[in-house]
Amino acid sequence: MSGTSITGEATEETLPAVVAGAEARRSARKRPGRGPRMPVWAAVTLLMAAVYFLLPLYGTAVFGFSTGKHFTLQPLFDGLADEGFQASLQLSLTYSIVTTILALLVVAPTAYLVELRFPRLRTAIEFVTILPFVIPPIILAVGLETVFGINSPINLIASSWAPVLLIGGYFVLTLPFVFRAIDNALRAVDVRMLSEASASLGAGPVRTFLRVIVPSISLGLVSAALLAFTTAMGEFTLAALLGYATFPVYLLNVNGYEPRMGEGLVLVSFVITWAGVIALAAVARKAPGTLAFSRGALM
Amino acid sequence: MSRLALGGISKRFGEQVAVRDFNLTVEDGELVSFLGPSGCGKTTTLRITAGFESPDMGSIVLDGVDVTDLPPNRRGMGMVFQGYALFPNMTAAENVDFGLSVRKRPAAERKARIAELLELFGLAHVAGSYPHQMSGGQQQRVALARAVAIQPGVLLLDEPLSAVDAKVREELRTEIRRMQVQMGITTILVTHDQSEALSISDRVVVMNRGAIEEVGTPAQIYAEPRSAFTARFIGAMNEIPVRIVSAAHGLVERGERRVTVAGATGLADGELALLLVRPESLEPLGPTSGTLNGDLTMAGQVEVQTFLGATTRLLVREVPTRAGDPTALPPTQRFAVDIPSANAGRWPTGSNLSVKIPVGVSRLIADRSAPGGVLSSSATSGGKAKPYA
Repeated sequence: MSGTSITGEATEETLPAVVAGAEARRSARKRPGRGPRMPVWAAVTLLMAAVYFLLPLYGTAVFGFSTGKHFTLQPLFDGLADEGFQASLQLSLTYSIVTTILALLVVAPTAYLVELRFPRLRTAIEFVTILPFVIPPIILAVGLETVFGINSPINLIASSWAPVLLIGGYFVLTLPFVFRAIDNALRAVDVRMLSEASASLGAGPVRTFLRVIVPSISLGLVSAALLAFTTAMGEFTLAALLGYATFPVYLLNVNGYEPRMGEGLVLVSFVITWAGVIALAAVARKAPGTLAFSRGALM
Repeated sequence: MSRLALGGISKRFGEQVAVRDFNLTVEDGELVSFLGPSGCGKTTTLRITAGFESPDMGSIVLDGVDVTDLPPNRRGMGMVFQGYALFPNMTAAENVDFGLSVRKRPAAERKARIAELLELFGLAHVAGSYPHQMSGGQQQRVALARAVAIQPGVLLLDEPLSAVDAKVREELRTEIRRMQVQMGITTILVTHDQSEALSISDRVVVMNRGAIEEVGTPAQIYAEPRSAFTARFIGAMNEIPVRIVSAAHGLVERGERRVTVAGATGLADGELALLLVRPESLEPLGPTSGTLNGDLTMAGQVEVQTFLGATTRLLVREVPTRAGDPTALPPTQRFAVDIPSANAGRWPTGSNLSVKIPVGVSRLIADRSAPGGVLSSSATSGGKAKPYA
């Protein structure tokens, strides 16, 4: 019994080594004694992209961190100390986190059930989730305003239900990203077979979902969460038109009367978003089991 | 440790009948194989047994308890899938532990059981490995260990070896049998591989088009198939044309010879029928047709020798004794004769060979049941479906 397993391992282990060896030889032949060289067109494209994306950031930094003549962080400190900044950031963070959790809680089980039990509903669900691409946020805002706005008998905006309205809107706007990320992850594993294996071992549907399916699609869940969070954090149209003082709305206002402070805060928000993205990605990599699995899935 | 009774199971998918009136009792500790071509309903029957499909009719009774309406997670049946179905985010040990943790067994007991099973399947050194780090054979061993960890009433194996390579397959099937006998687990094995079914089963259920064709021990199925389908499906089979002289007396004619055979009832006088004979049952006589009485013979020229190990298969083109004989093999067909490899030198390619057709071990079927060309697929270049054992 061990004889075969040894043979089996040997074959599978030597294979990548052989492939790697061939790869090395091929590259050695191509560029003897030199490091990898980037084609000119690629370098030019990269440079143009870098200028396009980094120049505005640089401009923002120069403008925000100077008095016009000297470098100073004063506008930034003023901004951070501003009550409006703190309140709006808190509001945006809260709404974005709630939206993210809501989206995952609703979409993940739905996508799982569609994949497992109702494959025929798939087309319909896909259609519903891409609606936000077809219907611009401004239409959504006007619609929500008409139905739930201050002139409507169901006035949510002026009530304590106000957060529900915006979070509901955010939820709809994040659907295309969240559904696609989760659905792709589900389709990459054999959901049916894993579920049947779990059931044959005695696990009910809930346990199967939480202990087998969720860990198997953890990367998809993380990317779905990232997409939902950043979409909600950066959303402007809906919040502005419905009259919520979210962070993007506040930034625009502040730019009107205190432009240097506004630019300083833009950089702050940029750093916060990237820190969030990197942190979540790092968590996903370090989660037990998922590291090994993600490597396997990516190779 | 259970007795499983499948009673009158039927299942349709739309217009397609997948399983038709399936009746079978699997005794305690028995290993029964479902064998048949793809689409014969064997996997559907297994999935119905497991609870992944519900039958349109019929019942599944486990130890006297009707489980037909129980969901799969409450049937206590272990299942091994064709594609392993290991949980990718769990190590080998965690996979084996899954069913035990669902059953909320004490931690110490679980730990001991995992260690015992990993040891039994030779997996102790990969206990901490994830599925993608293991070879196919190791993964399937983990799947087996996981399935038997819950001490299932019935173990269901759905083509468990088709995804592993040939050498591991043979080894693993012996291992499955050893484990199954040792633990005394009632087991159903679904396979399309006849050598797998014949080698490790107590009984084989041959299925065709959703129905049971016949049930028997491997030896019975091979040597005394009761149906023409089984005879053709299992092993290699020559189909030799004969003419019915008198169905009432069982008298048949081939070339210039007449013999009495069993099983001619129901056939019409003058009709062409087929005599089914295994390649190893044809006895070489010598370079020319003998003058043997009481048996049929056929003669021809060896076209191909195929070395099979202990035996060598000769594919022979028949040279009819007289022109226009309706019972001669069609020109596109060859007959196969298995001889000990030690004697293969006596019949090189191009040599003449005549063989005795021992009617005692042959089976007569009506020619009309033969779909088009008879032995052509198997006896010529081995082109099509007929599987040689």
